[in-house]
Formats: sequence, structure tokens, C-alpha cells
Amino acid sequence: MTNCIEIKGLCKSYQDFSLKNVDLTLPSGSILGLIGENGAGKTTTIKCILNLVRRDAGEITLLGHDNVREEQAAKEDVGVVLDECFFHDSLRPRDVSRVLAPVFPAWDEKLFRAYLEKFDLPEQKRIKEFSRGMKMKLSLSAALAHHPRLLILDEATAGLDPVVRDEILNEFLGFIQDEDHAILMSSHITSDLEKVADYIAYIHQGQVVLCDSKDNILEQYGRVGCTAAQLQGIAPDDLLRVRKGAFGCEALVSDRTAFRRKYPGLLAERTSLEDIMLFLGKGEET
Amino acid sequence: MTGLVWKDMLVSAKTAKSYGLIILFYFVLGFLGTFEVTFITAFVSVLLIMLPLSAFSYDEAAKWDGYAVSLPLGRRRVVAARYLFTLLIVLVSLAVATLFSAFIALQGQSFLEPLSSALGTLGFGLFVLDVLLPLCYKLGPERARPYLYAVIFVPIIALFVAFRMGLHLDLSWLDALAARSELLVFALLALLPLSGAVLMLPSYLLSCRILDGKEF
Repeated sequence: MTNCIEIKGLCKSYQDFSLKNVDLTLPSGSILGLIGENGAGKTTTIKCILNLVRRDAGEITLLGHDNVREEQAAKEDVGVVLDECFFHDSLRPRDVSRVLAPVFPAWDEKLFRAYLEKFDLPEQKRIKEFSRGMKMKLSLSAALAHHPRLLILDEATAGLDPVVRDEILNEFLGFIQDEDHAILMSSHITSDLEKVADYIAYIHQGQVVLCDSKDNILEQYGRVGCTAAQLQGIAPDDLLRVRKGAFGCEALVSDRTAFRRKYPGLLAERTSLEDIMLFLGKGEET
Repeated sequence: MTGLVWKDMLVSAKTAKSYGLIILFYFVLGFLGTFEVTFITAFVSVLLIMLPLSAFSYDEAAKWDGYAVSLPLGRRRVVAARYLFTLLIVLVSLAVATLFSAFIALQGQSFLEPLSSALGTLGFGLFVLDVLLPLCYKLGPERARPYLYAVIFVPIIALFVAFRMGLHLDLSWLDALAARSELLVFALLALLPLSGAVLMLPSYLLSCRILDGKEF
């Protein structure tokens, strides 16, 4: 299995924010979900990958090519969908094809039309008349029509209704059926990532604080609900984060099976990505 | 790169159509004698030269630049596409001016006079674009707009002030030259757009440098 994206020691500093030593790997045949709060560094990471901003340090390889020194080769087999539709309102979907066909040597006009048909997008209608969902579907059609091996998506499903989101997620699952393909997607909608992602990377304040396979995370991590007195009886090393409320305490553990064995009187239940994100982002360290 | 030129043509099509109607209207007025035809041919160049600047505004509204840079083209080709579009516009302006001049010539008037006027305006327009295109990359179209007025009006104001101060610009040599050979004046005026086109190279390199340093 080869890696479609390799990021090593990525650093990027702004006045009020820094991305610190980000390491990420996206193996082919898989989907990596990037989660994190607003301003955590997800979009900056994607912008560094696409060379939209200059990195201060580190290395980024896309499909085996350095993303700066071999930018053109690196991006040739990459499809990009960002959080907005960048096509001018006055254009029509058929115009998008005219614009992008000379850009991508592998542009497939038939495939683009097939996607338009699949997503019920009228070729003759101007983009300004499209809904947000239609615009995102158009962006996705444009990103897929040159047979990319790698899709990079930044909040591509944000603001879409569940039906459109489901349709787009199914398309991602279809895309990933080819073992050479891979998807990097950032999203706030952790339930979407629970559906489709193989790996999860959680970026918090510019650092990757959690990166593992989704199954490992959901199988191993656990949420413990207990009283303040029970919390006192747990060794701090056995807890990752704690949240204390008026009616009780909650804690995040990294291995709920081991926790259950050690503390048979306490219940460590399966948790969600959203809960893990909340614990790691807002919980107290033990 | 041709894809981006196509994009500029497609997004400018609506504006170009309305410009076309205005030009046609003025041409009819010119043909009927309300305006000098030399004014109309110069007007064509002024209108069309605005299109590359409008293209920046359209791109800004769509937030296109970030997407364009994410494509497998490289930033220099993104800039090259805008300059190529500008050159195409110049050629179209020239073709329209030539067509008008030919039509007027068929009515027994001078062919070279309106065309010379178009060349002079095109040359000036190209100088304006050579300055404005890098500024649009640096500041964005909205913040660059005051510089457009500066580039156009500062020379006019300077000439006016010079005139008021008694410094008369003696252009009678042009009349004398035109009396001797209209073709010579035409050739001299043709040097203006040519030098404007040559200056596109440093302007392009400057724009590339600006875009290279930009983050999206």
C-alpha cells in the first residue's frame, strides 16, 4: 500500500496562530477525516497541501511528488473541493467543462456530463440560480471528471441537508472502491466521518493531538460517567480528560476494556468522535 | 492556460455584449455625422481595455484566484492567462477599429486617420494596463481602482497645469507631418501600442512576482 499524502513536520506560523509539527499520512484506498474546532488548523493544513500558503518548515508529498518543487505533477491527479463553489455565477456547468478541460490532460467530458446527470444539475442553467447543495455537487463533478486518484475536500459537506450529504458521502465511498484512490476530508460533521472515514486526525490548536484508525478510536476510547467521589478513586494516569459538572463527572479513557478490568464498578461506554473532540478540546487534563 | 483565457472570455461575454451595443450606437451616430469617427475608434479601445480590469472584479467576487492556484498550472500560468486575455482584447479592439475605418473609407473618408486615433488610444490603454495589472494582483481590483484614475488623469492634469503656466506643447509638427505623409503619422502612432506590448513583459514578470508571494 502506497501513501497518497505524506506530511512530515509541517509548520506554518501566523501572527496569532501556528501549525506545529503536523505529521499525517494518508494511505491509498482510504479516507482520512480531519476534525478540529474552528481555527484549529484544518484549513491551513489543506492550504499548505495545495500550496495556497507557503509552509515555514516540513515536507509534503502528494502521490509521490513534492507539492512545491513538483507542483504540477503533484496536482495533476488531485481533485479539490473547498468550502465554497468558486465558479463564477454567470457561468453554466457546460462552461465549467470548457474552462477545466484544457487544464487537466485527463479531463473526461462524458464523465463530467454523467455526473451532472447523476446529480440532476442542468447544463444550461446559470450557477447563480443553483442552491448551495447544487453548487457543491457541481464542484464535486468538476473535481471528479479528470479521473483523480486523490480527492481533497475542505468542509465540502458543510451547510448541506442530510439527503444531499448522504448522496455525496455515497459518492466518496464509490470513489474509494478503487484501491489506488484516497480522500482527505476536513469536516465539523463528525457523524459524516464516522460513516465514511477509515482514519481520523484531530487537530487542536495547531497540533495533531489524535491520529488513528477510526475503528481503533471508536473501539478503544470510552466515556466514564461517575460522581466526584468516584473520580477521586481513579488513578490520574488512567484518564485522558475530565469534565466536571453540577450533577456528576465525565472522563475520557483511551482503553475502555482495560479500564473496565481495573475498575469493574465503573461503566466505561463506547463514545463518539464528537464526544472525544469535546473532551480533548474542552476537558481538563488529569 | 487556455482554459483560464476561456474563463475570462466567458465571464466577460455579457459586459462585452453591452459594450458592443454602445459602440454600435456611437458608430451610427458617428456615421450620421454627430461625432467624429476618430472619436469612435478611440472610444472602442478605451471600452475594450476595461475588460481585463473587470475580469479581476469578477474573479474577486467568485473568490476564483485561490481555486485557480490550486489547479495543476502553477501561478505563472495563471498570470500568463490574464495577460494573454489582455492581448486578445487589444487585437479585437484593433480589428474593430480597422473594420470601422474600412467602412468609413468606403464612404470616401480617410482610412488611416481613424485607425491612427485607435492606435494612439490603444497604446495609452496598454500603458495603463501595464501599470494596473500588477496593481490589481497586489491590491485587488477595488483598491487598485483609484490608481486607474490616477494613471489616466495625472498626465491630463499635468498637461492642463503646464498649459496654464504657459508651457505650450507644440504638436504642430504632427500636423506638418500629416500634411506630408499620413502614413508616417500612422507608423509613428503604431509605435505606441507596440511599446505598450513590449512593456507587458516587465509588467507580467512583476505580476508573477506579486502572485508568487501571495497566500490564499
